[in-house]
Amino acid sequence: MVDLARVQKELHECNRDVQVSGINVTLKGDSLTHLIGTIPGPIGTPYEGGTFKIDITLTDGYPFEPPKMRFATKVWHPNISSQSGAICLDILKDQWSPALTLKTALLSIQALLSAPEPDDPQDAVVAQQYLKDHQTFVGTARYWTETFAKTCAAEEKIQKLVEMGFPEAHVRSTLEATGWDENLALEKLLSS
Amino acid sequence: MQDQEGDVVNVEKETLMSAQASKDDEWTKIRDDDIMQQHSAIQAEEALKIPFVGDKEPLSSLHAEYQLGSPILLQKIKVLSEQCAAIRRTRGDGNCFFRSFMFAYLEHILNSQDQVEVQRVKANIEGCKKTLLCLGYAEFTFEDFFALFIEQLDSVLQGSEDSISHDELLQRSRDPSVSDYVVMFLRFVTSGEIRKRSEFFEPFILGLMNASVKQFCKSSVEPMGEESDHVHITALSDALGVPVRVVYLDRSSCENSSINLNHHDFVPGSGNVGNNGDSESINPFITLLYRPGHYDILYPK
Repeated sequence: MVDLARVQKELHECNRDVQVSGINVTLKGDSLTHLIGTIPGPIGTPYEGGTFKIDITLTDGYPFEPPKMRFATKVWHPNISSQSGAICLDILKDQWSPALTLKTALLSIQALLSAPEPDDPQDAVVAQQYLKDHQTFVGTARYWTETFAKTCAAEEKIQKLVEMGFPEAHVRSTLEATGWDENLALEKLLSS
Repeated sequence: MQDQEGDVVNVEKETLMSAQASKDDEWTKIRDDDIMQQHSAIQAEEALKIPFVGDKEPLSSLHAEYQLGSPILLQKIKVLSEQCAAIRRTRGDGNCFFRSFMFAYLEHILNSQDQVEVQRVKANIEGCKKTLLCLGYAEFTFEDFFALFIEQLDSVLQGSEDSISHDELLQRSRDPSVSDYVVMFLRFVTSGEIRKRSEFFEPFILGLMNASVKQFCKSSVEPMGEESDHVHITALSDALGVPVRVVYLDRSSCENSSINLNHHDFVPGSGNVGNNGDSESINPFITLLYRPGHYDILYPK
């Protein structure tokens, strides 16, 4: 049995200081065993500016068993599978302890984004690139952040303007032309 | 025959894997799940062999175990059988020290009905809570484990409607929803004590591994299944103020070829009292048998 009371406490505590940590956990559906974590890409890394979603599943043994976590947002990183989002991190495996929480696990994942460990890779291709062609790695990681970790916000902006009655293709091109500035795009759409 | 079967399984696995390998690195994920599955399979197998806390057995069962073993061990067991009447085995899942400590302590309270001891240990547990808070642990991460242990402590004292019998104590010690929580409580207490007195423990930890005190606690104290060492026992005994005697059963023998059964008393607050002698006045009520990598409970005569 998942310790639901504990999960509830964790959600409450984690979301209380979301302003400070930038990390939050929400329910995916109406069950406390399937959650979505959100972490901001660390500043000064190719992940800066991105918002990364982590799919969290709690097994029956939680908090004695580690939470199952994987990236739902595609990310280019030596310790994260570029295909499946699987994460190679000791505390999600044998180094897990009930003394840890969903929030501390997400903080560890955020720290992993800052400090990759290419010698213990999850994604061999990315790790090779990280070691042998670092510049290309940084470029690819940044491109993936732009493309996958920011689209969420972009999609929301598109959705908002489409709901105002503008055709989607037009909204998209206008937003692109204004550098995704919502207000500028709206002005432009209204004046055209 | 067995080998052949093994080969067939391997071939099947390989085909499976190469089929998956073409589909990106999906198989690395499967491999992780495989490991987890295998891990729980091993645990289930262990569980069939011995519960978290076993039944009380006469010491002769230990002798039987080494029938064909080293003569030194057999002689030591003979010495041990003069001092102890029985043994209670615990499961070798890395939590055996904590599980032995839990059962031996609660059983002692159940038998002695020592109210003063319960009040004393409760005060120390309050202190442990404060230690953890000072160290920055969020209260909700440990409060449930603490509350559950206090509940066990209260229920072994007779005379209230929540009081439990010896049989019930044994059942609870075998039930993961009590037993694992108490183990985790003890791990929290141990970790807090080590970190509170990190200067004292640092040299011992450096002797075990190249890690900081905090890293040691994160990797070798707080995760379930991490085995206990001198450092853990010293810290737990000090934090709760409960002396523990550990009797060592290993192949070491003395130079003058006389058989000597070593023991070590962990005595809170006094630094540890050394080997054999000196410590007669202390008389710890928890006695554990240590064999390399494992702890069981002993019952002195």
